[in-house]
Amino acid sequence: MASIVVVSAALAAALLMVPVLGGDFLAWQIGLYLLYGVAAQGVGLAWGRGGFLPLGNAVFFGVAAYAAAMALRATGGALVPNLAAMLVIALILAAIAWVLAAILFHGRSDSGPFFSLTTLALVLIVAQLAGTTPAITGGFNGYSGFPPLAGLDPFGNLYYVIVVLVVVVSAALMALDRLPAGLVLRALVAQESRLQVLGFATNRVKAWAFAGAAFITALAGALYASHQGIVTPQATGFVFSAELVIWAAVGGRLHPLGPLFGAVAIGLLSAELRDTLPWWEVVVALIFLVVVLMAPGGAAELVARGARRLGWRRPITQHSPGPAPPSRAESVAGALQLHDVRLGAGSVQILRGLNVACPQSGILCVIGPNGAGKTTMLKAITGAMRVQSGHIRLGDQDITNAPPHAALGNGIGRKFQIPTVFAGLSVTENLQLAALAGRARGVDFLKPSAFGWQAEPLVRLLAHPGVPLAGLGTLDAGALPQGHRQMLELALTVGAAPRILLLDEPTAGMSPEETVLMVALIRAYQARTGAFVLVIEHDMALVAALQARVLVLHQGCALAEGTLNAVRADPAVAAVYAGGAK
Amino acid sequence: MTETALLVLLNLTWQIAALALLALGLAIVFGLLRILNMAHGEFVMLGAYAHVLTAQLGLPPLMAVPLCLALVGLAALLVERLVVRHLYDRMFDSLLATWALSILMREAVELVWGRAYRNVALPVEGVTELGLVGYPTYRLLVIAAIAGFFLVLWVWYRRSLTGVRLRAMVSNPALARASGINTARLSAMAFVTGCLCAGMAGLILAPVMAVEPNMGLDALIRSFFALVVGGLGTLEGLAIGVAVVGGLQAGLSAALSQTAGYLGVLILAILFLWRRPDGIYRRR
Repeated sequence: MASIVVVSAALAAALLMVPVLGGDFLAWQIGLYLLYGVAAQGVGLAWGRGGFLPLGNAVFFGVAAYAAAMALRATGGALVPNLAAMLVIALILAAIAWVLAAILFHGRSDSGPFFSLTTLALVLIVAQLAGTTPAITGGFNGYSGFPPLAGLDPFGNLYYVIVVLVVVVSAALMALDRLPAGLVLRALVAQESRLQVLGFATNRVKAWAFAGAAFITALAGALYASHQGIVTPQATGFVFSAELVIWAAVGGRLHPLGPLFGAVAIGLLSAELRDTLPWWEVVVALIFLVVVLMAPGGAAELVARGARRLGWRRPITQHSPGPAPPSRAESVAGALQLHDVRLGAGSVQILRGLNVACPQSGILCVIGPNGAGKTTMLKAITGAMRVQSGHIRLGDQDITNAPPHAALGNGIGRKFQIPTVFAGLSVTENLQLAALAGRARGVDFLKPSAFGWQAEPLVRLLAHPGVPLAGLGTLDAGALPQGHRQMLELALTVGAAPRILLLDEPTAGMSPEETVLMVALIRAYQARTGAFVLVIEHDMALVAALQARVLVLHQGCALAEGTLNAVRADPAVAAVYAGGAK
Repeated sequence: MTETALLVLLNLTWQIAALALLALGLAIVFGLLRILNMAHGEFVMLGAYAHVLTAQLGLPPLMAVPLCLALVGLAALLVERLVVRHLYDRMFDSLLATWALSILMREAVELVWGRAYRNVALPVEGVTELGLVGYPTYRLLVIAAIAGFFLVLWVWYRRSLTGVRLRAMVSNPALARASGINTARLSAMAFVTGCLCAGMAGLILAPVMAVEPNMGLDALIRSFFALVVGGLGTLEGLAIGVAVVGGLQAGLSAALSQTAGYLGVLILAILFLWRRPDGIYRRR
């Protein structure tokens, strides 16, 4: 946290020197670019942290500018009522953004272009409305004739208000990166479907990011009204939205300060060069294109890379260990049952009336040839694929087609067939997410102490002498070898202590020693918690080692169930595996 | 009364036909390459400026056609080689890169030809009498040409060898490559074809549009949202989409105002992006 204070103080000092060294006009100019920069930081928050690109963020800027201008006119610019009005305007716009993103991202696990295009349509609508309602907005001539905030001179003291906004927003964004909320956002961009299985409703995570983006963009827009003394439809227009994205991209969307520097640098250069070099705008567009193609992290990423090459490392904060709150997933009871479940994708019917009655506790191995529907069964249970008919029950609770993020709350943890960890995040950060899953709620995401949570299943797993994760701390989880990756994903899966553990080929790609370890860990977890563990496996030696009941799937139906020997003796099973008559 | 009804119907047909022409290039590029070409509108704009260039060079007006094909084709080929080919299978990046490209093209055209609106004369003047009412001959010609062109294109895509290769590439690019189809060349061809369609749309519609550097945005928005409504990536979806969007815009514009028509399309598009992102027509 100390680094935030240092950077913020340096930023504030540099900005306060501007009027002293450069004069009032330069301060006025830079004040405008700083407001643009804060709006671009909003885009950076949504795009860099939330992973979705809003193409219409000028909506929040422009609407806030109009609303603030109206408030200024109505109150004669008095300080306190207008500050309150600005805050209320930004909060309302943030709430609208939250609802919009929560609805648009509901039921999806991608951030595809559809969201960008919806925001694009939105900005076009708002700009059109602003331009065609002269009675309210002044139409294309703009809305003017209002005093600045508290009568502050735009060429004088208003600049200091802008500096306060810039420093506060920048400090808040830097702090966010060091909080659990920031970690969840980075995990969202790295691997959204895995985050859903950890119990996070990712549409709401994105909604918070978009609300934050709208909030700071709106604050900048509200001050913009005082700074300019006039608000025109351009402030809420498509072109301005495009510029916000360019500034964020060129400055660096992944760093809190990147978009700010992008806006100020491009703004200042444009003001200098626009009149002398007619092809300047072409150059800016070209720079943007090159950044998109070759340096997606923008200037900030290039600077950070250079600093790393010179030996700079971000200091690792040690979080003092503390007790973790109880997990939502461990208190759930009830046996898992599938009744006549049917599920198809396109013209292929994968599950054709699958009936499975799992015990409350114990281990069940699911085997079957490729295409039998084993992984699909897990996807149906966790809501990753929609069931067309039939029911999935947990005790007497119907969980058919519950959204993927609800599975953990129902006590279900799933390990993917292809081990899926949060690449780009360190092993420690992956483990921190495992400890947050199912346990963190509300303000926990804003408490750094949550990083130190000691979740009991994780502590036990990491303490096991054979588990190699404890010493890997700062390594990128995406660079782990297969065996370590399987272990890390097991850790992610058991972190919330789920009562039902669905493990999809947990030993694929592992060495014999690692396989033995994995079997021991699974059996120990089951014995300690009394959980129900379902394991999909191809390796018969491993099935034998687990000493569990066996369920054979074939063409989307349950073919046989019993002990391994009983199943082996079943002629129907032998026919499927040995290719005998159907 | 019948005259008015007939005129409204003709206007509706014209709007839909013009929109189909505008959207075709975007549909080709998205349907075959899964690239959301945000610079589509700028290729339309470039096509329209072929008229301006022809006049500047003192060439006869008909020379605008080869000039348009050369100008747009060259630009598209350059863009494919330098930008788009790195972005197949990366829909999000391709959206951003083509968007950067659109800004670049807009600024470049503004640098060369300025910001002023250009008027392009109708190549075919006059009005054709259709029994009860008269209708501009140029529009009738364009409607007929578009209808014919779409029919030919549809048959070609279903029947020709290149059509088969294209469909193979769409359904499984890796397998298509393994079967000896040069997908890199096919992709480049598809992209250039899509852009040429956009350019020709600009050339043909220039006399009835305001030709200026920023005209591309409107073309992109309307074509894109027609595709969203119809279902991205098929000719059938394109037909349904342009009928709904063109019809809605023409209807609302006639009944209320231009603004209402524009807003109606945007609101419809948002509803579709939200509830039915696959559009009305879904390929099974």
